[in-house]
Formats: sequence, C-alpha cells, structure tokens
Amino acid sequence: MNTAVRKQMSIHPEVMDMLNNQIGMEMKASAAYLAMASWCDQRELLNSKAFFYKQAEEEREHAMKIFKFVNDNGGAAISPNVTGVNNEFESLRSIYETGLEHEISVTESIFKIFKAAREKNDFITEVFMQWFVSEQSEEEDSFRSILDIFDLMEGMPLKMIDERIPTE
Amino acid sequence: MEIDIKYSYDIKALTFCKYVLTAPNKQINLSFPQILELRRNINELTQFSSLERIVNNENFVLLFVADKQHLLYLEIPELLHLKEELELFFHAPASILV
Repeated sequence: MNTAVRKQMSIHPEVMDMLNNQIGMEMKASAAYLAMASWCDQRELLNSKAFFYKQAEEEREHAMKIFKFVNDNGGAAISPNVTGVNNEFESLRSIYETGLEHEISVTESIFKIFKAAREKNDFITEVFMQWFVSEQSEEEDSFRSILDIFDLMEGMPLKMIDERIPTE
Repeated sequence: MEIDIKYSYDIKALTFCKYVLTAPNKQINLSFPQILELRRNINELTQFSSLERIVNNENFVLLFVADKQHLLYLEIPELLHLKEELELFFHAPASILV
C-alpha cells in the first residue's frame, strides 16, 4: 500500500499538508501587503506604496511556486481561504514593523517544513525549500534595513523618510 | 472475532491509479486525487473544533466523495474509523521516499 502511494506522490503527505498551510500563509501575507500598499497609496507615500505593491506580488509568487510544486509532485494543492486582513494602521513605521513580524512568522513556518521534510526523508521538498530559506533571509533584511532608516531619521517629516525607502 | 460491519471502511489499490473504498453499503471507485480530497475533508472534519460542532448539532456528517458522485453518511465513530483507515493508507515510513 505504501508503494502504491509512493507511485502517485513524490512528497510526503504530512509535508504536503504543511506546504498547503504555507500557501495560505503566503497568500495572507500578500493580502496584508496589499492592504499596506493601499494605506500608503492613499497618503501619497510613493516609495512605500511601490515597496508594498511589489511585496504583495512577491508573496503571491511564493504561494504559486509552492502551489505548482505540490501538484507537480502528485499532491493536491489547496486554494486557500484568506480572511481577516487588517486594513487599519496607525503609522508608517508600525506598518513596516508588522511587515517584519509577518516575515519572521513566515520564516519560522518555512523552517518547520524544512525540518519536517528532513525528518521524513522527503529530499525533494527539502531541496525545494532551500530557495525559500535564502529568500526569507533577504526579506527580513529588507524590512530591518527600512526600520533602521526610521531610527536614523527619527523626527524627520514622513515624506522625507518615505523618499529614503528603497523601491528596488 | 466479530467485526462490527457498521464501522467497516477499507481502502485498497486496484491498479496503478485506481483505488476502491469499501463502505458498509457500497464500493466506491476512487482515483488518487479523489483519495487526497477525501483525506483533506476527513482531516478537516476530525479536528477538535469540527468534532465539537458536529456533536453539538446533527451528530452526523454527509460527505461527498469521488467528485460528488457518492454521498457518505458518517456518524462520529465512522468518521474516526475512516480517518484511521486513511492514515494507514497514507502511512509512509521515512524509507519509502528514499
């Protein structure tokens, strides 16, 4: 019976469940960044809005990458239900702080999948997840660097801080 | 030993991509994606919050299987039995992926 399942799926079923949760998490992050982009867009914070629109697209790309991976390996990718997206923020700084918290929770979730894949000898998923581990390191770094700008420019007008936010 | 037929669910592989779910009153042919869908539904229904909701309401669930071609009537013990059967079916020791 085990062999029958293996002939259909290259990834471990429990790891597949975790990957499906990750798809939901990435899509929720995408929706959260879209809300942040809208908040910035309404306040003409041009660099921040560009940053968050880009982040929203990137998170969706991550979700799609996992989605296709699950199906390509014989599993069943589940289109997630995204609810409870917060559209109210108190300040630009708090938006970036929330963004960093999002990224840290995504990183922790990716580490769990990586660990589970290793424990289950699911080498295909382990190798696939390596890209995400590096990517999360970069994502966290970009948010931390922006929060550093806030610290360095404390007391300056918001528009000036926004102009220092990298868009690339 | 006498087996209680009421709770008897069994999944077997017929061919490479055909499986059969034997329910108490019928046999249902399933493809592998249909088994994955069944597994997902059963896992959702057997979460603590779902079980609590079922017990506090109808005390049974109606579950479509095989792309909505069949309908299963499941009480809690049957639901749990089917979950066990699916877990057994998907139980892949670490070495199986090597």
